[in-house]
Amino acid sequence: MLNRIAKGLMLVTGVALALPVAAAPTNAELKIGISQEFETMNPLIMTMSASAYMYRMVGRSLVNLTPEGKWVPQLAKEIPSLEKGTAKIIDEGGKKKITAVWEIVESAKWGDGKPVICEDFITSRMIATSPTVSVGEKEQWTQVEKIEIDPKNPKKCTFKYEKAKWDFYQLAQFFPVPTHLEKPIFDKYNKQKEGYEKNSNYVRAATNPGLYNGPYVISEVKLGSHVSFSPNPYFYGKKPNIQKIIVKLIPNTGTMEANLRSGTIDMISTLGLDFDQALAFDKKAKAEKLAYDVHFVPSVTYEHIDLKLDNPVLKDVRVRKALVYSINREDLVKALFEGKQQVAIHNVSPKDPWYTADPGMITLYRYSKREAGKLLDEAGWKMGADGYRAKDGKRLSLNFQTTAGNKTRELVQVYLQNQWKQAGIEVLVKNEPARVFFGDTMSKRKFEGLALFAWVSSPENSPRSTVSGKAIPTAANGWSGQNFHGWSNPQVEKNLDALDLEFDAKKRAALVHQILKAYTDEVPVVPLYYRSDISVTPKSLKNYKMSGHQFYETNNVEDWNLN
Amino acid sequence: MTTFITRRILQTLAVIVILSYVCYYLMSLMPGDPVDMMVASNPKITAEDVQRLKALYGLDQPVYKRFGNWVGSISQGDLGYSRTYRVPVQELMGPRLWNTFILSIASLTLSLLIAIPLGVISALKPGSRTDYVVNLFSFAGISIPSFWLAIVLIIIFAVKIPLLPAGGTQTIGGEPLGFWADLADRSVYLVLPVLSLSIQQIGRFSRFTRSAMLEAMRNDFIRTARAKGLSRSRVIWKHAFRNALIPLITILALSFSGLFSGAILTETVFAYQGVGKLVYDSIIQNDYNVAMISFVISVSMVLLMNLVADIAYGFADPRISYQ
Amino acid sequence: MSSNEIVMTNIELDENSLSAKDRAEIEKAQPMWKMVLTQFMDHKLAVAGAVIIAIFMFISIFANQIQSITGIDPDAQNVSNRYLSPWTTALAGPDVRETAVERFIMNNPEASDKVQKALIEKGLVAVAEADAIYELVATKEPAAVLADLKSLDIPDTKNLITSVKDFETFHFLGTDELGRDVFIRLVYGTRVSMGVGVLVAIASALIGLLIGSIAGFYGGWIDTVLMRITDALLSLPTIPVLIVMAAVDLSKFEWIRESKLITPSNESIIKMVIILCIFSWMTVARLVRGSILSIREREFVLAARTLGAGDGTIIVRHMFPNVIAPMLVSITLGVGESILFEAALSFLGLGIQPPTPSWGNMLNNAQELIYQAPFLAILPGILILLTTISFNYLGDGLQDAIDPKAIRR
Repeated sequence: MLNRIAKGLMLVTGVALALPVAAAPTNAELKIGISQEFETMNPLIMTMSASAYMYRMVGRSLVNLTPEGKWVPQLAKEIPSLEKGTAKIIDEGGKKKITAVWEIVESAKWGDGKPVICEDFITSRMIATSPTVSVGEKEQWTQVEKIEIDPKNPKKCTFKYEKAKWDFYQLAQFFPVPTHLEKPIFDKYNKQKEGYEKNSNYVRAATNPGLYNGPYVISEVKLGSHVSFSPNPYFYGKKPNIQKIIVKLIPNTGTMEANLRSGTIDMISTLGLDFDQALAFDKKAKAEKLAYDVHFVPSVTYEHIDLKLDNPVLKDVRVRKALVYSINREDLVKALFEGKQQVAIHNVSPKDPWYTADPGMITLYRYSKREAGKLLDEAGWKMGADGYRAKDGKRLSLNFQTTAGNKTRELVQVYLQNQWKQAGIEVLVKNEPARVFFGDTMSKRKFEGLALFAWVSSPENSPRSTVSGKAIPTAANGWSGQNFHGWSNPQVEKNLDALDLEFDAKKRAALVHQILKAYTDEVPVVPLYYRSDISVTPKSLKNYKMSGHQFYETNNVEDWNLN
Repeated sequence: MTTFITRRILQTLAVIVILSYVCYYLMSLMPGDPVDMMVASNPKITAEDVQRLKALYGLDQPVYKRFGNWVGSISQGDLGYSRTYRVPVQELMGPRLWNTFILSIASLTLSLLIAIPLGVISALKPGSRTDYVVNLFSFAGISIPSFWLAIVLIIIFAVKIPLLPAGGTQTIGGEPLGFWADLADRSVYLVLPVLSLSIQQIGRFSRFTRSAMLEAMRNDFIRTARAKGLSRSRVIWKHAFRNALIPLITILALSFSGLFSGAILTETVFAYQGVGKLVYDSIIQNDYNVAMISFVISVSMVLLMNLVADIAYGFADPRISYQ
Repeated sequence: MSSNEIVMTNIELDENSLSAKDRAEIEKAQPMWKMVLTQFMDHKLAVAGAVIIAIFMFISIFANQIQSITGIDPDAQNVSNRYLSPWTTALAGPDVRETAVERFIMNNPEASDKVQKALIEKGLVAVAEADAIYELVATKEPAAVLADLKSLDIPDTKNLITSVKDFETFHFLGTDELGRDVFIRLVYGTRVSMGVGVLVAIASALIGLLIGSIAGFYGGWIDTVLMRITDALLSLPTIPVLIVMAAVDLSKFEWIRESKLITPSNESIIKMVIILCIFSWMTVARLVRGSILSIREREFVLAARTLGAGDGTIIVRHMFPNVIAPMLVSITLGVGESILFEAALSFLGLGIQPPTPSWGNMLNNAQELIYQAPFLAILPGILILLTTISFNYLGDGLQDAIDPKAIRR
């Protein structure tokens, strides 16, 4: 009887949810759904991922990282290098510096037809380093000490970098702004605190095509709702196929799918669905033969657990190792993610040229409850009758925190809690809203045991900010730095310093592998998995390529085709 | 009466100032200031960056000083700058306040128009079939989790029967078609949010109308009025309903106060560009200027409406006097 | 009640003058509570609501017993069997099976030795002796394992057999995103949600009654101060307070830790109760004040005062009965509202923290997967709806029954 009722209910909801499918989109218009908030798209000031996602459609930087992980020129004609002689290491007052010659693509123009010139880079550097403008991180601007324009060619200039770092050419966020539009504003409001931000054309006249140099320009902005894009007639590259793109904010991921199915949006961007939803939608789309592709692309987002090394229990490396041994990450990935995200063994992603899984170079941990038990016994934590381990009458108990409301993390958390319970470790969940978690608990190192969250990095990115002993947040350094676990290792420090100045790719990899060896030996962090980027596109969309790193798929939006 | 009103207005003003300080203080109590949040999301920010930003944002000063500065710039007509959206506050909030206002007024009007007659009808015939149906409907309306109802509405009316848009405020990118076409377009987007808000409010209002009306109908003067041979409708509306007004006014005033603070859940689910979601985000992201302006608006609305309610008592019930 | 008795004796004095019918009628005169009960029983839907609430109360009080009867742990996961539909049976995951064997071998070394040898002798498994039982359990269905174990005919395997029997779990209402049993989680969710709802409604009604009646009765500056506080709290934005609360670590307060009231598993529940109380007494206070204001000048109050009744007496004896009806409505509406408010907070990620189940967080967890596992969202939704409606009808029935002026149905 109950069975029948249950089946009946399932049937009713099933019927109610078997839905018609909206008409396939054409090149006339493409509506993209996004679930994260965006801000005004001033490339110097914006910090939100959703803005970065959209900005790649309207603005380009000198260089770009392809989805395959290769640096290629974009606004620049070519990437300067020591071999070709376009970059030189110089000695200035005993300090090693580097100079590089950049030349902007001949036909590169702003949306109002004015050429993109080196002056535009000088302007943006000047604005971004001004004390009255609230740019968060200045290093990417100050690393370029001086820009000298070739007197014969306004599109050619020499950058002088303050340090001779191997990755000097990776100027991914070094965006130009149109001097003819933004300079007068900056000059006028420069004295006023945050005066430039309030009065910039990006705020006051965001639809002025002259502000953009990408394949599209912005034709409408409504903060908190949507942004419309139309082709930029002066774009130097390939002419875009799609005549109109609208990025629409749908703050609730639960209704994202309904919006897709009702045709309010045609595709869901990388910043859209939750993993579980995508997994379910994928199955459904296949079963019902819906005209959508669900993409899962491994990304460089590293989900891990920081261990607070100051905690007397976690101070013991055997306990930390036991924590890793006693969790079955392969099973976790298989069971919760159906194998669509990758297990992490350390903080360098498999996409990265620096990656290694060679047991000769690093320490690997295979799931083994026995090994974990042995280590814990050694450390003095003996199994008690209640199923938990204890030492000196004190139970082996740790606090476990993550961001409340992040469903996938909460899922993983509960899964791990259960596994540690089997190994006799009590783990108490204490989650907080992201606001509190990141703004206070982590940044001021107030967490007590385990903290689950993610790092977004990019290929060949120095791990300095998370592993260097100098990056441990303290009151003295204004709580800057992200070494929340508090790990510090002299060999690692040395390697980090050497890494920046090493121009030989092989030697760089070797330095990183040494760091990874220490990282996996001393386990300041429990690596969990690498997240996958997810998006849903109509089957008719061609040349769509997701990257899995910070150069979003919109970087090749001009190739997208719906015909 | 006038002295009473002036006194209340003065009190209300004082409370607004005190409360906005309390809000400001509460915001500063929340763990993590804007710079902390920035640091947490960007590994490359250095100690110097932190110091520079704190000074730039004025976060190195004590709370009362910051509050003073804020009040100072407000009184000069400068509402400040949203650090999250990087635009001046008035530009950000203006249209959204308007959207929320439309949404709230529409749903409030609709629910009052339906709820009051429903409540009166069921109070006149307690125990009748009509009464049962109205009660069941009201209780169901009160009892449905709002975000759940909203999602179900989307599935039914936007996906299953594609009559209405699943979310948004108006059609994006359409050419302006003139006032009436725009109005029609916007109304289409309002239907589902208004419906989901109203179903709850109708339940609430009709329950209160019913119980207030029942109470009023039991009074002796109603019997007297009937005995005097007054017409039924006159007894109901002139005598009973007027007495039922007091509790109704209280509830109504409380609902009015939410007019500008918006309905976070409804706005979120329907991607409706109102102020509710904005307020939530601004608090979460520590966007002081936006959050404070919304606080002041919502606090003032509540206080103002309570004042209106108290004054209205006097008109509804002559026995209540204010010295 | 005493007045009833007096009436009775009076009637008995001149009983001859009454007809039999009248006498029967009058002899039915009952104590107050009986009258209330009779009236209440007339309100069919209120009775139904009371029954439903009683059932849920029963469930929440006896959640532990329900767990031991069904033998299902609300936290036991089975990630290879996520999102099962209702009325299915799931096999425990390999790690759970392994742990069970490990326990058996640890506790019964001799018996396990025998079993291992026998298994290999009979050729049921083909691995090293130490791994024999593990292999058997890992590769075969529980039924087959049981058959094999029985065929060995070794006496001390009872423990192993019981744990093997536990490998298969019947899921009456299916499983959730971690393969946990939905039914038992709903049972525990009932306890949490009902507990929070009832506690908050009663506490906030009491606070509201106290403040509202004092303000309404005394008027003047007391009224002004109390009502401004009420207004202030009413207009205080909820969210920052909630976020601040979320950051407060209750266990840091010495006296709270000493009293052992707060454990990590109930901390978020207690916080929830406190938060909801802070934000829900004001409506009651204003309602009560409004009612008292209108009663204050009425004749019966004036009469009582003339007769020399003190303030307390007037408030408690003459005014409270008149505000009981609106109060009851408020309490009953309050229970439902608190349950709904908790659900809404879950939607914002500020609700009761997992893994503690509540209807609110179960519903919120499920709403994103409404297409894929609609049942998961429908069940807590229905429970919330049902409970809230029941409380509303209960309040309605009580109001009619208690109110002396109410019309008999």
